[in-house]
Amino acid sequence: MNVKSLFWFFVGFVFVNFASSLWLLLSSVLTITPIPLPYWLLYTPGNIVTAGIIVASLMLALYAYLGVALILNKMNRGFIPITMVIAFTIGITLLLVRQAIPALVILVIAYLMLIGTYAVLISVTTSRASKALWGVATIILALIPPILIGGGLAVINYIRYMALVEQAMAIMASAIEAWRLGVEQ
Amino acid sequence: MLIVYAVPSPISSVRIGGFGEADYYASQPIPNVSPGLLVRVFLINGSSVKPVNAFIDVYANAPSGIVHVAMGYSSTLIVPFNNTNWLYALGKWASLGIPFSEYNTSMLVFITYIHGNESWILPLVIPYNVGWVYRALGKSTPSDATPRYIVVNAYINVNELRPSRVVPVRLNGTVTDPQVFGTYNGYTVYNCSLSGPQPEVYWSFPLYEFAPTSECVGINGSLPIAWATWSSGVIQNDNGLVIDLSIDFSGTINWDAMSTDYGDLGTSYSASENWGPQSAEFILGSQVTQPGSVYWYYGGATWAIVNYTVWYVGDITGPYYMGTTTVSEVLYVPPNDYYAATFDYGSGPISMFYNGAITLSEQYFGYPALNASTVVDYAAFEYTPYGEEYLWECNGPVGNTSTVFGGVQYTLYTVTLGGVNTAYGLSAAEIGTELGGLAFDVLVEVATEGGATPLIEFLNNVGSAIFDIAGLLIPPSTSSSVTRTTLGIGGVTAGTSLYISVINASAVYGLPTFGFILNATNYYGNPTSFTCKYNQWVQIG
Repeated sequence: MNVKSLFWFFVGFVFVNFASSLWLLLSSVLTITPIPLPYWLLYTPGNIVTAGIIVASLMLALYAYLGVALILNKMNRGFIPITMVIAFTIGITLLLVRQAIPALVILVIAYLMLIGTYAVLISVTTSRASKALWGVATIILALIPPILIGGGLAVINYIRYMALVEQAMAIMASAIEAWRLGVEQ
Repeated sequence: MLIVYAVPSPISSVRIGGFGEADYYASQPIPNVSPGLLVRVFLINGSSVKPVNAFIDVYANAPSGIVHVAMGYSSTLIVPFNNTNWLYALGKWASLGIPFSEYNTSMLVFITYIHGNESWILPLVIPYNVGWVYRALGKSTPSDATPRYIVVNAYINVNELRPSRVVPVRLNGTVTDPQVFGTYNGYTVYNCSLSGPQPEVYWSFPLYEFAPTSECVGINGSLPIAWATWSSGVIQNDNGLVIDLSIDFSGTINWDAMSTDYGDLGTSYSASENWGPQSAEFILGSQVTQPGSVYWYYGGATWAIVNYTVWYVGDITGPYYMGTTTVSEVLYVPPNDYYAATFDYGSGPISMFYNGAITLSEQYFGYPALNASTVVDYAAFEYTPYGEEYLWECNGPVGNTSTVFGGVQYTLYTVTLGGVNTAYGLSAAEIGTELGGLAFDVLVEVATEGGATPLIEFLNNVGSAIFDIAGLLIPPSTSSSVTRTTLGIGGVTAGTSLYISVINASAVYGLPTFGFILNATNYYGNPTSFTCKYNQWVQIG
């Protein structure tokens, strides 16, 4: 297997997540201080949505890259991230044309495929620490929907914590894997 | 739970037309950033959006008026919740005793961006809740989803907003006054603490002294006395309708300064005016073919909205600072002014009154100057299924008279405003207060006839001061020189209805001016119900 191709996936994963978190932190704090700011740095709902769309499309591109790289290496599990990317794209498009119910169905499929993608990542990572972190992230990802359905908006803050922890673990897992692939090859 | 708000997190957002947006952030306290309101100004030109310096002026709505809070020339302005003037307005709300969760109030933000000889003015209304502020200041228990920071982003879109032209006013013949804010529909708005006619100190001896501050907005232009407006529906349905707007008054007119908190402060200006019977008469459909207004006015008059400091002057204690109050007053009217009645088809002073949301009224009072609630009188021509036509009235005296106009004999139905009470549309309670004041004066005269003069002075002043405070809403009284304003209507097309609303602008502006509004389908503001003073409609003819 050509490991270099996965190396760039992990580097991109860390970079995109780190950049978006940094933007969130900086813009949210700077927005409430009386420092003149360019408009794109303001933490307004419009900008947050724009940033979300940029981050989502970068992440989808990364996952598509992951899927293609796996398939080229004769690993058919690469179709799982490809399916996830296609499902997310269709789901978001349906949302934009206000087809809420079909969009929901497609996005549920996409979410299941995201969990599947995490499982695929566990299977292709080489370090045990990375496997463990992806494993915990997968479990959290799988637990979020039942908790949200059971608890409703009352538990939304816990869901936020879980998502934060999940994201942190995925970033760490990717960093460890990128480090290992970069150093040992 | 609070860690979610370790960094500011938006919990609500309000778009204000295309002018801006207000975002509300919950957050943990952030060092060196006190909770409050932050205004940011952006200039939009094509696809470029940049922070830009502008005059930012912030007012707080209080239960009985507005309080100036802060101003600055910058691209950002921060107003902490513990700003003294804001706290004063908040205290006024708190003293009402209504639970904070029951209502929201608002801040008014005005942004003036000047470039070359053009200016753009944005009025923004920022809703907020007094409870949030008290929680952010630690005066009551905080909860996690309370906004701690309100960020207002104002957009000056020079491609979409039409600029006003800045007209410099000459001072001393040589110096150009930098304090002209702009012009609106023929009005020049200037800083009256620096130039032009200026407000004076009022004494309400021995109780209060009112001293003008440097926050003084002078408005120079025509001061309408009376007007009539017709809608496009009237133009369509009532081709051939004769409209006759007449005024008849003369003598010395006193204009009084009106405070939002203390009522009538006293005469701000008086002049001898002479408007013998004057009438403007014309026919819709032939002489006038588009919706608009006709109005009588004083030309080159000046009125002002001024912030005053209020001092309580006791006998022993010395002056005691009471706070500030917003005062509307007339500063100058040319004597023996005579101008012909004038038409306004959308760019004159009457349009400014109606479109107050865009211009001064919204800026300084926070709501459109005229709406259904300022209508004081109704009358209507109604066509019955049996082919009969009736004129009905509610509140006002309606009669009929006969006139020859253009060689044709018309029966004019008239809606007359006569005397102070009718002209100002005082409610029964307000009339009662006013009469009480008069009666008190008379009583004192009688009781102290031949007695000590200081006692008369004292009783008179204390007496009227008490009545003034009791009747806060009494609009400025002129000496009863306003004797008669009449709207005559003739040649109503058979089979059409005509609705006449009489509106009283003095309650809003503190200016003695009122208008008639003609509509084809319903009264002004489309009221669903209204109250007649005598609880009934009177059929006239």
